[in-house]
Amino acid sequence: MEQKTDQYVLDNGMVLLGEPMGGVESVAFEFMLPAGAAMMPDGACGAANVISDWIFRGAGDRDNRQLGDALDGLGLQRSDSIGSSHLSIGAALESSNLRAALELYADAICRSHLRDEEFMPARQLAIEEVLALDDEPRQKVMLELRKRFYPVPLGRSTVGEIEDLEHLGAEQTREIVRTRFDVGQSIFAVAGKYVFDAVCEQMERLFGGCERLDVAAVPIGARAGKYTHIPNEGSQVHIGVMTDAVPFTDKDYYNIRVATSVLSGGMSARLFTEVREKRGLCYAIGARYHSLKEAAGIMCYAGTTPDKAQETLEVVIAEFRRLADGIGEEELERAKVGLKSALIMQSESSGSRASAIGSDYYMLGRVRSLDEIKKRIEETSVDSILKCLRRKPFNDFTIVTIGPREVRVE
Amino acid sequence: MRFERKKLSNGLVLIGEVNPSARSAAVGFFVRTGSRDEAPEINGVSHFLEHMLFKGTDSLSALEVNEAFDRRGAQFNAFTSEENTVYYASVLPEYLEDITGLWAELMRPALRDDDFEMEKKVIKEEIAMYEDTPTFDVVDRCRTLHYGTHPCGNSVLGSAASIDGMTAGQMRQYFARRYVPNNIIVACSGNFDWDRFCATVERRCEGWQPQPVDRLLTDFEGTRATARLGRPNLNREHICLVHAGVSAQDPRRFAASLLSLIVGDDFGSRFYWDLVDKAIAEAASMHFGPLDGTGIFYSYLRCSSASASRVMEIVNGIFHALLRDGISEEELTKARNKVLSALVIKNELPMGRLVDLGFNWMYLGQYRSVEEDVAATKAVTVEEVNSLIRALDLSRFTQYSLGPVSPG
Repeated sequence: MEQKTDQYVLDNGMVLLGEPMGGVESVAFEFMLPAGAAMMPDGACGAANVISDWIFRGAGDRDNRQLGDALDGLGLQRSDSIGSSHLSIGAALESSNLRAALELYADAICRSHLRDEEFMPARQLAIEEVLALDDEPRQKVMLELRKRFYPVPLGRSTVGEIEDLEHLGAEQTREIVRTRFDVGQSIFAVAGKYVFDAVCEQMERLFGGCERLDVAAVPIGARAGKYTHIPNEGSQVHIGVMTDAVPFTDKDYYNIRVATSVLSGGMSARLFTEVREKRGLCYAIGARYHSLKEAAGIMCYAGTTPDKAQETLEVVIAEFRRLADGIGEEELERAKVGLKSALIMQSESSGSRASAIGSDYYMLGRVRSLDEIKKRIEETSVDSILKCLRRKPFNDFTIVTIGPREVRVE
Repeated sequence: MRFERKKLSNGLVLIGEVNPSARSAAVGFFVRTGSRDEAPEINGVSHFLEHMLFKGTDSLSALEVNEAFDRRGAQFNAFTSEENTVYYASVLPEYLEDITGLWAELMRPALRDDDFEMEKKVIKEEIAMYEDTPTFDVVDRCRTLHYGTHPCGNSVLGSAASIDGMTAGQMRQYFARRYVPNNIIVACSGNFDWDRFCATVERRCEGWQPQPVDRLLTDFEGTRATARLGRPNLNREHICLVHAGVSAQDPRRFAASLLSLIVGDDFGSRFYWDLVDKAIAEAASMHFGPLDGTGIFYSYLRCSSASASRVMEIVNGIFHALLRDGISEEELTKARNKVLSALVIKNELPMGRLVDLGFNWMYLGQYRSVEEDVAATKAVTVEEVNSLIRALDLSRFTQYSLGPVSPG
């Protein structure tokens, strides 16, 4: 299947990317605004979460209800997310409604009313969301893990911190929108059924007048600690483990991706086999690669009843360490096929493609073709992976547990 | 898009929707069995058995099974509900026959004693995990409360006690009764060769022996009871409401699906504007759950315990207003657009299409194209939704809450 990437840059620097897909009626789009959790000023953790709600509470000629009804009428499947670097807002929809949807999103991004009376419910929802995390230890443990693994402020909670949210004011948040919604540093990605010339013309009209703000990069601080336990009288101990890995931009990126797949790609991968199949320690066990532009790691989740928590942690750490001892040719092949198949299957979804091309551009300044990714995966070998693992061995682990019992950490 | 079907002499049905432009294919074995088909002493056996199928056959160990899937880059898994156990995989076209053959082989598992005992531990971990997931737990508990003694109230996972007490022998008997060819369909969607797919399935499955299978098919309006459980580790109030709905065979299911979006879609619904937009509840949604011969709507609400009574006042107000005034044309149009766009997006993926293809055959014994479902959704009128609201009496429901030990 022929694959191409459309690209156009507005005078103010906003990057427009597109990937046309044959045989689909849908289109997905995503705006990546440089207003992620790490980009918020100190003491305003959670502001991005409030903003992602607040900007839709009235914009352009429409009040809150009118804008909500207009979005709703287009049958959008909305997908908003807050990452470390970006606040991403977007949707998947039938392609005939793309033009109307972009008009509404431009209003929310450039002409949101940001009224005081709408600020309070937006902030309250963010506070409630933080409180609700206490009831979902599986999610909370991974947020707490990222917070401690990445140097401050990269791993900040994308949901927010109660103390900061309670002190957050409307004017302060408005100022964040003014200074952080830098259209000139934003990426817009579209995939599926669309006409690129028409999209560019419309985007030029909607965003071409916005001036570039040149938001400065955030200074990076220290890491927060090695082991944290958060008591919770639940049924399981929820264990999060994360260790350093080379980032997306590193020459060893594909080696570490394949290595992670050997560890936890499919059900024959090592973690699933050793932790669940051979020992019956967990139901949910898995690790995945996670990269920001500045740093990356492999993060692992395991949930288990208190009596098995210590053994689970020890088996997990031992499996991380054992990777550098050697990898079989067969398991390498399985890891590669798994990654390649997943890549092709994800490419059938317009939503996945829109986010993938946007994220590629942010990380690399260009979009990788599927063929390039396949080729680079194929080029990895047992030797190249072991070299990478020995160059950057898994020495240190950041660990967080939530549950009725602590574990012992070396 | 081309639809194909075939029935083997032992009753096994094969169906397929061929889409040569897809980049992948998805295959599923749909077994008509779930927790509603279990006796109390073996509660949880359907789901446990689903796990055991991955443990291999007389000639394949568990590790060999996992390796066989992974070697072909399959994205594979299974799920068990009250009434279905579905095994599925999506793969690149060149691996479809291998994976179909593998699933077919696994449908005749070894069910070894030592695997059974090891997997018991995993199942009990899964039960513990869901106890720590109140969003799931409260819905499960409310469904059980709603259905009372009706078998659709049986827990899918079972309890630690029912799993502890179960023997491998009981599981083998259950398997022999339920995994018969006339109780299974094999479905495939996406880019694949129908004839070769059929040949693969036939070679593996034609020796399976049919036998009569039954299921208790009665509808039930629900107990409409109310219960609450306090837990020391919870700080939010998690509320589930279950209403009587319509069945998966009922022609009103399209209206029911639209109604659930009008009342409780994540965005733009009545729940959204009256509860979430105003930050009175942090989450509020309603879903339609059609089942074989019965059906429910279930709603999930999350708020502070102090707000729980206010939330329920508003929710009751919404249901009474719907009964009194019905829905508007504008609401229906918006809900319709949402359903139509969701249908388009979901069906662009072979895996998304497989689920509808399989379930339409399971419940209706018929093939329905995406276009037919689109037309049926477009044809629903305001009056049809309103008469459904009156028929089901939305003001009466079963309610279960999970929250802190001392509420408010």
